[in-house]
Amino acid sequence: MIRRPQPLRDFAPNLAPMVDVIMVLLVFFLLGASLNLIRQGVLQTELDPRSGPGAGAAVQIIPLVRIGIEDLGPGQPPRIYLMDEPLESLEALRQVLARRLAAGADPDNIVAIAPQGSVSWRYVIKTMDAVIQAGFRNVQFAVSLPSAGEKP
Amino acid sequence: MFRPPQPTSMHLNLAPMVDVLMCLIIFFLLAAKLVSAEHAPLSLPWAVAAREVAVRELGERVTINVRVAAERRGAVEYVVVDWDGRQIIERVLPPSELEGLLRARAAAAAAQNKELRCVIRADQYVQYRHIETVLRACGLAKIAHVVFGVNKGAEPPAGD
Repeated sequence: MIRRPQPLRDFAPNLAPMVDVIMVLLVFFLLGASLNLIRQGVLQTELDPRSGPGAGAAVQIIPLVRIGIEDLGPGQPPRIYLMDEPLESLEALRQVLARRLAAGADPDNIVAIAPQGSVSWRYVIKTMDAVIQAGFRNVQFAVSLPSAGEKP
Repeated sequence: MFRPPQPTSMHLNLAPMVDVLMCLIIFFLLAAKLVSAEHAPLSLPWAVAAREVAVRELGERVTINVRVAAERRGAVEYVVVDWDGRQIIERVLPPSELEGLLRARAAAAAAQNKELRCVIRADQYVQYRHIETVLRACGLAKIAHVVFGVNKGAEPPAGD
């Protein structure tokens, strides 16, 4: 039997399932990419904005607290110096600094950390962490200027 | 004379809604890509005194990831997330180009009356001299605000 083709009618695709899928995708990306949900831990430092080229003579910061970190070789924790005096550990550093604060030191005093170039970054952060835990807020880093011909 | 309305079948036009949703999805796709690129998996150091911040709180920023280079022992790569006009890419910069990049970004931020912040996310096993290179570039580009990306908390014993 031959069926005659039906007369053409308005063709309206059903978009409802598509909208459902898109809504699910949207919620997924909303939750996944929400900038509020992504948090990171940070330690803050300030560089002196007067330094650098065009600012005249280089500004020499004279810190009230100077901390050195000496690399003792691979696998060895570095040696910490406070005002050129060696300390036993980071805990000792934290205690000494906490005592200074208790004795009336200003927590906004500049604490300058000057690690040797070969010191592992984790020890530098540990040192900065100990300083902040002790209560000092203004931690800065000693940055050497590149000498002529130096390759970073 | 009052005529009662004729019953008609109602068709909801969903096409504009689909258009809007598609645009939103593309936006969040790109945002997710950018955020994941800015938070590349790195072995970050641990710090108890770290402050937890939402990324949005950091404001105008340039993120520099310092990771250990796979090819050469002791070498590092400075990775910057960038937009090349078509897609979000990770650019590996030589140290000599860091200052130029930071200067350009700082100038662009200053043109919008914003202050640029440099976020340094460095692998915990790289040597300080590599971070010093970034700090020096920040100083030369006159970027005063620098934050270090860390994991918040005490270092797990296995990491020692």
